[in-house]
Amino acid sequence: MSTLHDLIFDYTLRNVALGGMLLGIVAGVLGAFAVLRQQALLGDSLSHAALPGICIAFMITGSRESLVLLIGAGIAGWIGTWILLRTVNATKLSEDTMLGVVLSVFFGVGILLLTYIQQTNNANQAGLDKYLFGQAASLIARDVWTFAILGTASLAIVVLFYKEFKLLSFDPEFLASLGLPQRRLDLALTSLLVVAVMIGLQTVGVVLMAAMVIGPGTAARQWTDNLRTMLMLSGLFGGLAGLIGAVISVQASHLPTGPSIILTLTIIVVASILFAPRHGIVAEWWRNRARRAAFQAALESGERPS
Amino acid sequence: MGTKMQHPIDERAAVTVHDLTVAYREDPVLWDIDLSIPTGSLTAIIGPNGAGKSTLMKAILGLVPPAAGTVEIFGHTSERQRRLVGYVPQRGSVDWQFPTNALDVVTMGTYGQLGWIRRPGKAEKQRALAALDQMGMADFADRQISQLSGGQQQRVFLARALVQDAQLYFMDEPFVGVDARTEAAIIELLKSLRDHGKTVVVVHHDLDSAPNYFDHVVLLNVQKIASGPMAETFTTENIERTYGPSKSARTKVAAS
Amino acid sequence: MTSGTVILLTGILCAMACALPGTFLILRRMAMMTDAISHAILPGLVFGYWLANSPNLLVGAVGATGAAILTVSLVEALQRTRRVGGSEAMGIVFPAMFALGTILISRYFSNVHLDTDAILYGNIEFSAFERLVIGGDDLGPQSLWVMSILLIVNIGVLTLLYKELKISTFDPALTQSLGFNPILIHYLLMLLLSITTVGAFTAVGAILVVALVIVPAATAYLLTDRLIEMMVGSAIIGALAAIGGYWLAMWIDGSIAGGIVTMAGLFFALALLFSPQQGLVAQRRQAHLNRQRFALDMLVMHLYTHERTADEYSESSLGHIGAALHWNPDQAMRTIGRAVDRGMVVRANGNVVLTEQGRHYVQRLSVMDRVRSE
Ligand SMILES: Nc1ncnc2c1ncn2[C@@H]1O[C@H](COP(=O)(O)OP(=O)(O)O)[C@@H](O)[C@H]1O
Ligand SMILES: [Mg+2]
Repeated sequence: MSTLHDLIFDYTLRNVALGGMLLGIVAGVLGAFAVLRQQALLGDSLSHAALPGICIAFMITGSRESLVLLIGAGIAGWIGTWILLRTVNATKLSEDTMLGVVLSVFFGVGILLLTYIQQTNNANQAGLDKYLFGQAASLIARDVWTFAILGTASLAIVVLFYKEFKLLSFDPEFLASLGLPQRRLDLALTSLLVVAVMIGLQTVGVVLMAAMVIGPGTAARQWTDNLRTMLMLSGLFGGLAGLIGAVISVQASHLPTGPSIILTLTIIVVASILFAPRHGIVAEWWRNRARRAAFQAALESGERPS
Repeated sequence: MGTKMQHPIDERAAVTVHDLTVAYREDPVLWDIDLSIPTGSLTAIIGPNGAGKSTLMKAILGLVPPAAGTVEIFGHTSERQRRLVGYVPQRGSVDWQFPTNALDVVTMGTYGQLGWIRRPGKAEKQRALAALDQMGMADFADRQISQLSGGQQQRVFLARALVQDAQLYFMDEPFVGVDARTEAAIIELLKSLRDHGKTVVVVHHDLDSAPNYFDHVVLLNVQKIASGPMAETFTTENIERTYGPSKSARTKVAAS
Repeated sequence: MTSGTVILLTGILCAMACALPGTFLILRRMAMMTDAISHAILPGLVFGYWLANSPNLLVGAVGATGAAILTVSLVEALQRTRRVGGSEAMGIVFPAMFALGTILISRYFSNVHLDTDAILYGNIEFSAFERLVIGGDDLGPQSLWVMSILLIVNIGVLTLLYKELKISTFDPALTQSLGFNPILIHYLLMLLLSITTVGAFTAVGAILVVALVIVPAATAYLLTDRLIEMMVGSAIIGALAAIGGYWLAMWIDGSIAGGIVTMAGLFFALALLFSPQQGLVAQRRQAHLNRQRFALDMLVMHLYTHERTADEYSESSLGHIGAALHWNPDQAMRTIGRAVDRGMVVRANGNVVLTEQGRHYVQRLSVMDRVRSE
């Protein structure tokens, strides 16, 4: 009961919980698309690529406003993705290699800039390093509002263009044959993933974003064979992990929020893989056992097993 | 200046390809192709692997930009004639683990007519069901697509093209990896489409069955080797020019 | 040795040690495994430190290597369930391990000396001050010892297994038929990667490890196709990045790891732009030349196709050629000009006509010659 009371009245807990939940929902839904389009680790590269954008946005504007920094992050993430896709198309380097190159180089540049900023702004650390590991406790109501608006807009676009995004993910060639603009839709869906990553940086940080993008969709896929249900479950799982992880981290002192969210999510993923009806490992094992038993019974009764 | 004579447009051609050249990164895959496909024909595109058969189809559909040349569908650009065209991509080009069922895939065939944002409703579902039924797949409407056999997956793809309700169909290797029953069902469908005045263009790889299935043929190997009515065009000589002499043993059987 | 020299040497040795296995990872399309391992070793490291009750290098390394092997196994186990793809499995396992490590530190082992920032970008800055002391004797900076041993181990193992690795990378089927076990080779490489990552991680942090394993090898791959050149090249590029990055960091007073990665990224960008074959500039130039030649080929082919056909006259008119081949008038004139210069065509009354030389050229161009010559 007191948790619920705190959720409503405790400023920090409320912001952290809402921030975590929003992130989970948005990253869950857009991550599900990324997983289906075989772009699972793009989120990982994107989040690392965002760091220099944050630093440069700060260096240019001197602002610590999260929206300003996140726009910088978004632009850098975008450039990273563009370089990645462009290079994979034009050279013999594989996507896997370019994911690693973009991730590490952008991040390295970001670290260099970050340490540079910390030196020049002497005592004032500018608070940029909270984006490394995430620092949900630093979320203010304004941030949460920003996330809410960005997230709602992203989800609204997904709902609006659900039909087109579905076909894009399943059969982009057929989509193009219908006269729909494949490249522009592709661009739109990738940009929405960038937005999801932007929302996540301050809450779970750069390193853990990968799981925030991949986890909910992977868990949701185990429960259903229907895309709409999968997207909703993905948002639900992401949101739940964000909410529960955030609450646990604030209630139990000394528990960083990002890791707490990610571990909650990991439990959901593992539980889904194990226990989901029909697709789950346990369900499969059970089916096999029943089948073996029937086979055995048929053998013993002297009939020919079919 | 010389006479400004236009290239003669065949009134009865469903597809007219004129001087078409397609290059991926400057490496020509199709070279200066001239051909026309008569309306109401059942045409096979035949050629070895990597001959550019799929590319020719995609270029006609406007999915890959031509480096040179023009394509006309019933006398206009493919851009303008989208509604008249149905397409069945190669079955291997999609992820069959995708979370969706047969009916849903077939319903995707209505997306073009629906336009932006509007969702398929009852009417679209009905049409999709009817198309599934036509392909003998009505019982599998709710089946997850990964649980379908290769032949069943191909039928779902064909049903999707059927709901497009097109005048002109392009099908990329619909006979690959399907069972004998599906092959028979597909060829029956193609013939009934033709009998209803539709034009059907099919990438085909089996030389033996080609003369029985199709009435027109395009022999392709980067360049167009020959095209026209099956009986006159599908000669051992032309096949040899398409594939090189190695295939001649088989084609003698085919031509006999 | 001054502390600067120690840092520089540590960086160079580390870069070379990482680049060697990096070559194989890139060729096997497993680059992101480095990313996964470098993050996932955190809980093992913490656990090791906790067991030893101090940041003991050896115990920490054992724990971290254990965590690395656990990560590889977990990723493969997840994949084997057939419910999760390879990249998804990685993206689930390593954040979970990293999260676990972070929580362990903050909750239970906050007395363990482990600075969380240092996990990501290391503290190579202090490498001169962490000494290897055995039995009271100061044997010099610990990082130099670690990196040297790593480099020697990597050179040794890769030399011993060179043939096997090469074959299993380029032709896994052949590996099997030659009697090597590709799975065993895979695990050996993973083990080598784990040890390298752990060793380098303690000195330079997770991101520098990822960068030094992947980026110099990718750069070398843009410059050469030969495996041995790629290995040597990536080691040299890595070493140069370490030197340049150190100076860059000194110059702007920033993180040395960040400087080294930035420098490696700069080398990569240079190779991406200017590599003689793969580079974007060379590709651009080649594309331009190709386009010219291609246009010429198209022109003569077009004329040849319509030669002696009913529409020969209309198809070869100056006005029509441009329209048929999708060229603007300017482009058409330039291409026809080039064809005239080479003696392939001549102009006659507003038409373009193939010369004997042009006909000859077309016949060599393509399969069409087989067709026509019959
Ligand atoms: N997207 C692409 N990028 C580059 N090359 C391609 C692409 N698609 C096809 N090709 C090449 O073009 C040639 C023709 O391909 P395709 O049209 O698929 O042949 P077919 O369908 O006759 O087997 C092949 O050599 C193939 O490698
Ligand atoms: Mg093909």
